[in-house]
Amino acid sequence: MAETAIEGRTELRPPALVQGEQDDGTLNKTLNAFIWEPPRRGWLALLGLGLAGTGLLSAAVAVTLAKGIGTWGNNIPVGWAFGIINFVWWIGIGHAGTLISAILLLFQQKWRTSINRFAEAMTLFAVMQAGLFPVLHTGRPWFAIYWLFPYPSTLKIWPQFKSPLMWDVFAVSTYFTTSLLFWYLGLIPDLASLRDSSTSRRARIAYGIFALGWRGSARHWHHYKIAYLLLAGLATPLVLSVHTIVSWDFALSILPGWHTTIFPPYFVAGAVFSGFAMVLTLIVPARRFMHLKHVVTPRHLEAMCKVMLLTGLIVAYGYAMEHFAAWYSGNEFEKHVFFFTRPRGPYAWAYFTQMFCNVVVPQIYWTRWGRTNIWAIWIGSLLINVGMWFERFNIIVTSLHQDFIPSNWAMYYPTWVDLSLLAGTICFFGTLFLLFLKFLPAVAVSEIKELNHEIHQGHAGISLHSPDRPLHAGELEGAVR
Amino acid sequence: MPSLKSLPIAGQPPRAWRSLDEMLAPPVPSRELGPEAPPDDATSRRSVLQLLGASAALATLGGCLKPPDEKILPYTRQPPEVTPGNPLHYASASVIDGRATGLLITASEGRPTKIEGNPEHPSSRGAAGPLEQAELLRLYDPQRLKVVQYRTQPRSWRDFLQAAVTRARALREAKGEGLRFLVGPGSSPLVGSLRQRLLESYPQAKFFSWSAIPLQQIHDGAQLAFGGAYETRLDLSQAKVVLSLDSDLLAALPGTLSLMRQWADKRDPAKGPMSRLYAVETNLTVTGMNADHRIRQKPTDVARFGLSLLGRLAAGVPALSRYAQLVQRFPLSAEDSRVADALAKDLMVAGRGALVSVGPRQPPVLHAAAHAINSALGSACTAQAKPVLHDSDAGPRALRRLAEEMRKGGVDTLVVTAWNPVYGAPFDLNFGKALSQVPNSVYHSLYLDETAERAGWVIPALHPLESWGDARAHDGTVSFVQPLISPLYAGVTEAEVLAAFLGEGDRTAYTQLRELWQTRAPEGFELNWEKWLADGFIEGSGTPPERLQVRHDQIFAAAMQLPQRETTPGYEINIVPDYKVWDGRFANVSWLQELPDPVTKLTWENAALLAPKTAEKLGLAQGDRVELGLSGPPAHAPVVIAPGHAEDCVTVAMGYGRHSEAEALCNGVGFDTAALRHTDAPWFAAGLTVTPAGSRARLAQTQEHHSMEGRLIAASTSLAKLKETSEGLAEHRGVPLTFHKPVEYPGHKWGMAIDLSRCTGCSACMVACQSENNIPVVGKEQVAKSREMHWLRIDRYFLGEDTANPGVVLQPLMCVHCESAPCEYVCPVNATVHSDEGLNEMIYNRCVGTRYCSNNCPYKVRRFNFFSYTSDYADTEKMAFNPDVTVRSRGVMEKCTYCVQRIERARISTRVQGRGMRDGDVVTACQQACPTQAIVFGDLNDGAAKVSKLHAEERRYDLLFELGTRPRTAYLARVTNPNPELA
Repeated sequence: MAETAIEGRTELRPPALVQGEQDDGTLNKTLNAFIWEPPRRGWLALLGLGLAGTGLLSAAVAVTLAKGIGTWGNNIPVGWAFGIINFVWWIGIGHAGTLISAILLLFQQKWRTSINRFAEAMTLFAVMQAGLFPVLHTGRPWFAIYWLFPYPSTLKIWPQFKSPLMWDVFAVSTYFTTSLLFWYLGLIPDLASLRDSSTSRRARIAYGIFALGWRGSARHWHHYKIAYLLLAGLATPLVLSVHTIVSWDFALSILPGWHTTIFPPYFVAGAVFSGFAMVLTLIVPARRFMHLKHVVTPRHLEAMCKVMLLTGLIVAYGYAMEHFAAWYSGNEFEKHVFFFTRPRGPYAWAYFTQMFCNVVVPQIYWTRWGRTNIWAIWIGSLLINVGMWFERFNIIVTSLHQDFIPSNWAMYYPTWVDLSLLAGTICFFGTLFLLFLKFLPAVAVSEIKELNHEIHQGHAGISLHSPDRPLHAGELEGAVR
Repeated sequence: MPSLKSLPIAGQPPRAWRSLDEMLAPPVPSRELGPEAPPDDATSRRSVLQLLGASAALATLGGCLKPPDEKILPYTRQPPEVTPGNPLHYASASVIDGRATGLLITASEGRPTKIEGNPEHPSSRGAAGPLEQAELLRLYDPQRLKVVQYRTQPRSWRDFLQAAVTRARALREAKGEGLRFLVGPGSSPLVGSLRQRLLESYPQAKFFSWSAIPLQQIHDGAQLAFGGAYETRLDLSQAKVVLSLDSDLLAALPGTLSLMRQWADKRDPAKGPMSRLYAVETNLTVTGMNADHRIRQKPTDVARFGLSLLGRLAAGVPALSRYAQLVQRFPLSAEDSRVADALAKDLMVAGRGALVSVGPRQPPVLHAAAHAINSALGSACTAQAKPVLHDSDAGPRALRRLAEEMRKGGVDTLVVTAWNPVYGAPFDLNFGKALSQVPNSVYHSLYLDETAERAGWVIPALHPLESWGDARAHDGTVSFVQPLISPLYAGVTEAEVLAAFLGEGDRTAYTQLRELWQTRAPEGFELNWEKWLADGFIEGSGTPPERLQVRHDQIFAAAMQLPQRETTPGYEINIVPDYKVWDGRFANVSWLQELPDPVTKLTWENAALLAPKTAEKLGLAQGDRVELGLSGPPAHAPVVIAPGHAEDCVTVAMGYGRHSEAEALCNGVGFDTAALRHTDAPWFAAGLTVTPAGSRARLAQTQEHHSMEGRLIAASTSLAKLKETSEGLAEHRGVPLTFHKPVEYPGHKWGMAIDLSRCTGCSACMVACQSENNIPVVGKEQVAKSREMHWLRIDRYFLGEDTANPGVVLQPLMCVHCESAPCEYVCPVNATVHSDEGLNEMIYNRCVGTRYCSNNCPYKVRRFNFFSYTSDYADTEKMAFNPDVTVRSRGVMEKCTYCVQRIERARISTRVQGRGMRDGDVVTACQQACPTQAIVFGDLNDGAAKVSKLHAEERRYDLLFELGTRPRTAYLARVTNPNPELA
């Protein structure tokens, strides 16, 4: 028995996480190559597109601020629409970063190393997009920007602590702060490395400032590791809390379609689902054009597909439970939303888009082909992003447009400002990401080096156990299960 | 004495004068230097003295006529009646087509800010319809005509008087030949006396009367039935069975307010027997929405149905036996005859309590038939009286006679004080062209409208709130129109225009009015005058009803002359007055344009209403554009599919499609129905063609979903099922199960009750709320986006499976002030909170506009300022604002406050009186305006208060009770009283 098991293990031995014979020098060279080489034409073209889109975003923001929310398609009954859809969508996308950085770190998933920097940057930029909307969607953003914070004002009025919107302010700002710190802390050794290998004086000064005088001494590493672990511990509950609180924006209301107890877990799963989809959407082209295939291997992609499959299934379960609860409650308003408005109402096309993208598409990741075919991964992840946007559309707009009293019912149509804000934030996000790829190491070079050492020499890294053995399939599955 | 320099000497010298004689005297010689220059010739001592005297006189007059220098000074001694911050109330009247409605107008710091009904006045009883209330915005309309014009050149009133006197001299010589007046239907005793004197001075002159919505056929019907022009006075307080033959009794239109109240008083099952209402009509009207039985008929068939009914009554009513053969002559469909039989029986049983009322659009024979029925049944609900209007013949027929004279060149001078005949006249008269041909025309108008563009002199009219005048109410009661503000623009009243032709142009309307009444009632005049003005009317001045004999022979003969059926093929056109803009004269009032039509919920335009089946037959969907062709040029209209509409006919509302650039608000809004009106058939005609135009329109309807989806929203039941329903409703009221400790409200506990049995959907409350609470108007595009701002809306649901003729239930809905309000806990900045008296309050300056409160409001009664809707208000429009209510800025949520400003005002005034607030001290704006008293507000802690009693009624239920919101507004289920025979 034991013999067979060991043999089986050997057969299941997964491909290496760092491919090819690499040493610190080659890793340094290959991973930072994109930074030192002159900007490529493709990068410039994409940056131009991103900047143009950012311009559109600024225009849409300016119009909104100058004229009012009336420039959006919102109305009564649909008080929230693109603004909050985009907010929840971006916040959800931002979830992959923390999950990869913190939770997978604590679970000692080695494959996180190649993608964590990427995911963290994505988180940060996604949360920045998300952060635009809560302020922008208010009628008087010039007050909303500070009246929602509890400060002892001369008005002697505190915010309403019972309101989930209030909690949102704390949840999102905490999340952004922690993500930023985590990302920056991880960057420090790499920034120092860039400082040291930079050829121009300007780059040396710039990287030098942000490297905070990192010399790579044992004492530095000691403090660094402790801080990193602490931050990981701090960020871990945030993965659950942020989207739970965002889901309370809806779950605490009395609106059918919002008033659902399953929302917190299903929102968190949905967030991780969309976050991984976004990481894949970005990393699949990046690993090709930035020549990162040796560190972002098919094994990494496969692992991420498995996470998507798992969270996709949780999300599908959430959908099923929503419908079940509506039917089981016998409540006419609930039943109307889940069995009429969504599948048969005027926005049924959005409902079926959501269902196809979020329930049907991830099923391809049951197959090995689906997890390894680069096109299947990329198109699948894109569709999941679209599906998750429509999930929020259905929750917000479809529930609102037909609620309790039929005389209220009205349709919602987005305006050019709404569409520009969505497109604009995507472009702004892209712009930030392109700048990140060009000026900062897209993969955590120091961690990869460490991993490389671990693999080749069996050195203890950040792991608490001795990793002096190759990773086996069981471990990997344990992470994604 | 002012210096001579104050006289304008450039151009035409001003010619002021004190009497006609002075005016007709040889003109004062003038040169470029003006009157002070010595004449060239005949510089005799005598002429110098003459000149001196004349100059002095002119200079004095010039000083008098010049408006005084305006200086803003604080009161050194405050007038006793003015306390800044405290509004004053004055009685006045609104006059629409000669029918006065008594009003009580609130003035805040000298500017009228709210129009309400005068509780003492017989035609108002405290209520005011949308039209009367909207007069306020007409007053402040910046698009009003501001100066006298002659052929588009600005002139002064004195210029006009000068011209008028010149004309008058010539006309007087010709004994008034060629002098014609076209006036609106009027009942003003002052104008009546002026008319008499004008006819004395100009024996050949003639008065014509015009309104696009005339009562002419009513008078013709009375002529047929009684041999004289009479008006029917209705009294629904005695009514048991009411049949409306196209008679819109329950819409808050001129003359119906007191009827609505009487009708509603008979619709409470707990208070005596309920009345029953049958409506025979083409399009669903406000009356039809409230009818217990509604019979759809093509417009030309309404009269046939009525005559057939008359025939059916012959069997049971001996006085009507001669009409028996009308049943055969006007055969009805099986279903209609079943209803008609039951209806005839019901009317006979009701006897004195029976009432047949016929609308003004129906032919005289039907009016006469109704007189026959009412008289034969001994109905106590009707009485005949001499018309209050000066002219019983006001309408297309009279206008045609005038137009013919004009075309023949027989009219030298035409004075028009009727509202906009060029717009309203049927197309076949081509009145605009005829008017252009009149050498001297004078038009007195509030706006530079279609008629003004073709008239010579255009005299700006004073708004009723700026002018003195009088008029008679529906029962003849003399009512006074008093100014509340000095004229905003240079204008005059109709009486002053007419007086100009008597050489009395310098006598103000006030002088004329006072003198008239002084001569009419000299005894104790001063005291009486004060009282009349304070009351707004002369008590007991109504004209008495008369006992009349019905001339059955003539009626029968006329009935037999009505064609048995309509022979012209094609669809039928059905033109109706608009609930909001009437004949178009209120078209420039934004409140009314944005007010949803009580039936179709359409705003900012009119449409072609089609029955669902007819639309299907034509392949038309809601919003499709069609071309409506009759004998004139085609009209282009968007389609609204109207459940309850008769088939194979199209209803259009008049008053839209204005082409008046000065009235920018209504210019080009909707389509004009004049092309579909013919002088001989101003209301309905067969032979209409309906052609799909292939394009679509975006309609701005405030309600697009018309089914309750089986939910208990607006509860409606029949009298027979009342007990059962009440038991069911018991589960929908009171305190739901809760974990929370109930909150005590030891002081006042404000609450409201809305009786759906009383609400007719007339929408008077919506305008009252808009006016009271400074609610902005947002425009068609915003309404189409579902962003209307009305705090109070009236939901209209169709009931039953029958889309052809569904039941209707109406529900006024505004913030229900939940005790456990879902909006409050979700607001992140504490901008909506609960008061210790149970009001759900909105703190505008704290609101940041997250709109979460609206999302979480199950009633969706919160309104959001998506834009800055008030920033483009003109200075005059701002004067209409209620100073007690904050004007909201952009990005802020707002909603019904239960008129908190009225609660606070009552609190202050009762405190000053040293007492607590009692029931009736606080009256919300909607409650005040409601003609049927469907809305009651008060303190729920006061067990004796009317509202507490209504809350304890068995018909009471809480809207969306199961959500546990504990609304403070309770609804009382509507009860209908269908005929058991027709069930």
